[in-house]
Amino acid sequence: MKSRYALTIALAVFCLALALPQAARAGAVLADLENALMCKCDDKCGKVLINCTCATSDKTRAEFTKLLESGITVDQIIKMQVEKHGETVLSAPTKNGFNLTAWVAPFAALLVGGLGIRKIIDTWVRKNRGETGGPEPAEAPAAEPSPDGKYVNRIRNELDEIET
Amino acid sequence: MNDIGEFALLVALATALYGCVSYIMAVRGNRVDLYLSADKTPLIVWGCVAIASAALWRAFLTDDFSLQYVWAYSNREMGTFYKIASFWGGQKGSLLFWTFLLTTYMSVAYLQNRKKNVALMPYAMTVMLVIVVFFLFLLNFSTNPFERIPLPPEDGRGLNPLLQNYWMVIHPPTLYLGYVGFTVPFAFAMAALITKNLDDGWIRLTRKWTLLAWFFLCLGNLFGAAWAYVELGWGGYWAWDPVENAAFMPLLVATAYLHSVMIQEKKDMMKVWNMSLVLLTFVMTIFGTFITRSGLIQSVHTFDEATLGYFFLGFLGVVIAICTTLIIKRLPLLKSKNELDSFLSRESSFLFNNLLLLGIAFATFWGTIFPIISEAVRGVKITVGPPFYNQVNVPIGLALLALIGIGPLIAWRRATLSNLKKNFVKPVAAALVAGAALFPFLPLDGRADILAYIAFILCVFVMGCILSEFFKGTAARMDLHEESPLAALSALTWRNKRRYGGYVVHIGVVLIFAGIAGSQAYGTHDQKHLQKGESIQIRDYTVTYERLLAKEETSIKSRVIAQLGVYRDGRRVWTGNPEKEFYKGSNQPVSEVDVLSSWKEDVYLILADFTEDEAATIKVYINPMVSWIWTGGWVIAFGTVVCMWPDRLEERRRVMRQKKQDAAFSPAQE
Repeated sequence: MKSRYALTIALAVFCLALALPQAARAGAVLADLENALMCKCDDKCGKVLINCTCATSDKTRAEFTKLLESGITVDQIIKMQVEKHGETVLSAPTKNGFNLTAWVAPFAALLVGGLGIRKIIDTWVRKNRGETGGPEPAEAPAAEPSPDGKYVNRIRNELDEIET
Repeated sequence: MNDIGEFALLVALATALYGCVSYIMAVRGNRVDLYLSADKTPLIVWGCVAIASAALWRAFLTDDFSLQYVWAYSNREMGTFYKIASFWGGQKGSLLFWTFLLTTYMSVAYLQNRKKNVALMPYAMTVMLVIVVFFLFLLNFSTNPFERIPLPPEDGRGLNPLLQNYWMVIHPPTLYLGYVGFTVPFAFAMAALITKNLDDGWIRLTRKWTLLAWFFLCLGNLFGAAWAYVELGWGGYWAWDPVENAAFMPLLVATAYLHSVMIQEKKDMMKVWNMSLVLLTFVMTIFGTFITRSGLIQSVHTFDEATLGYFFLGFLGVVIAICTTLIIKRLPLLKSKNELDSFLSRESSFLFNNLLLLGIAFATFWGTIFPIISEAVRGVKITVGPPFYNQVNVPIGLALLALIGIGPLIAWRRATLSNLKKNFVKPVAAALVAGAALFPFLPLDGRADILAYIAFILCVFVMGCILSEFFKGTAARMDLHEESPLAALSALTWRNKRRYGGYVVHIGVVLIFAGIAGSQAYGTHDQKHLQKGESIQIRDYTVTYERLLAKEETSIKSRVIAQLGVYRDGRRVWTGNPEKEFYKGSNQPVSEVDVLSSWKEDVYLILADFTEDEAATIKVYINPMVSWIWTGGWVIAFGTVVCMWPDRLEERRRVMRQKKQDAAFSPAQE
């Protein structure tokens, strides 16, 4: 039982780990910047800079390229942009304070849901065993099954064949 | 004709209201006369809305600029194609179009069921008529498409240039057919709740309606992606815009429903869950409409005059309240014999499939509304864009992809270790071999690369699982009936459309996953300001800027086209012609990209800018495997058609299954 819960938690942790940001690759610095910031054109296009094709976005890209060439880092440019336009310029919530709930809530919901389903299935399995009056049959042994087992297995196999 | 259209909308509203009231009074008071009278209203309402729609289309086609809506979304220069599509180019027309589709669905459901399902029909029709009343109320008193201009202008403003694309004729109607289609299962589910007919009758009744709506919503989403790809000129196809999310969420919930409902059909379990899912799907469609029309959340799709937010919010609140109340009240009747033989069973895998689908739906919903929550809690408005959705949804999506392979191969009720070994050894081996084979060729130096690598391995695993199912079935038929492989495969699919159609849908999903993984992880782009004869070198391609052409298309539209020679290994493989279109009265030119598409990759060209000395800024994207996404979409469409195809054997199988189940379990209970 414990191992099943551990498996569920491990899966959730795996998902969360994959969701964590990775270090930026060399050569993709401008792209990272464009991904991290929204276009702030007058039309309020609502697009991430990397997806935007308006004249403002072209100017912004040129400006960022110059800044990067002058030695200013991605983080510094992002900070400058936040100071200028506010948090709304960021294409995703920051991972601190209240904004952290944006990142955690989906995985928390998934974890709670997973544990809930786990519990429900256990209840249903127990209910079934209780009503049929016996423990869950063990894994089919290599030895010859009983005539009843054969019968039930045959029915199951047949049902599986036509189970659409 | 405009007067007739306007009057028809009023008559439709009055008739729909009458229909609601008289259906309720008829069933409550056992009044046959009232019932017969009410029973005519669905078709009358449809007729009136059809007349109003015809009147508006006529106004567009005859350039009747006395209508404010026609003036705002059409002009004399536009072709007939776009004049027809302008009908749904703005809020007023799209609401009328929605209502037209809704009444059409209602009428077909009415004609299909009026004699077969007498117990449910009056309630189902009442529910649909109430929804129709809501839309007709808006059309008559808030956003009337027949609003006049006292002094009609000579010409109209024209359709937004971005919308002047052939996808405008295809994408919105497909999406609306999906959105609106979920009203039918919703109405029958509500009718089942009201009448307490809570066996699986309403499910069988609405299964094809749900599939049909799912089919259109799925295609609508893909068509939208294809439109964004060719029209918006940013090299992508999905931006996680709130309105895209709004169309994606009901699709996910409906997919969860289509899977979990199988458990109810087979084992009479999960009644509350299925009922909740079908209601939630409808709620999500209204939520999507609320987002589009409220202007509350910034979106590239938001209508100019998004003023109906409060109406839809109110409607949404009422729907949720009624659904929740009804489900709580009917809980004792919805209790089912929830029993499982084992944790390791297909039923369990369906539950986890539901969890992951709803997990993605929740993450998408959460991201969509989080800016509002943030503003309410902190007073700071923030943006939740693609980086959030990609980081949260991709890992969950990969887990879902794995389950697509696992689910169908696990036996119903109880899987044994030998069963698992028998079914999974080959697909797992194929996935491991694929992983090893791909390892030397794929870069793994970033999160996107690693996720794409995992996705490819899982795609091979799932394809292995699905193909093994086809292989086993075909081989069995070949042995039993001495058929040729092709005949056996066709007969297998044809005699079991639901099961194998579902597998075909899964193949389409795998192709889409592979396409997304490839294009997101391994794409690249470059942009340069080029003089004539200069080139951009990108991957294996050399893109040479050759010349700039200017064309006056019409008096309001002109085009500037860049001619680009695309070379591979020194050989010219294609001439690309990306362009910019300029529309009179519009500040922003529209980019028309040009794409050389193949299974391996797309060469995607954009004319970003040009100067008077005929130099041009050219942007080139190499987008791997994008065509896999579109192919996957068509495969899904084909699979869904197979699933929906009438199957006379299905009912026979259902009865047989029931009998066998009764026979198998009765000795054990004695």
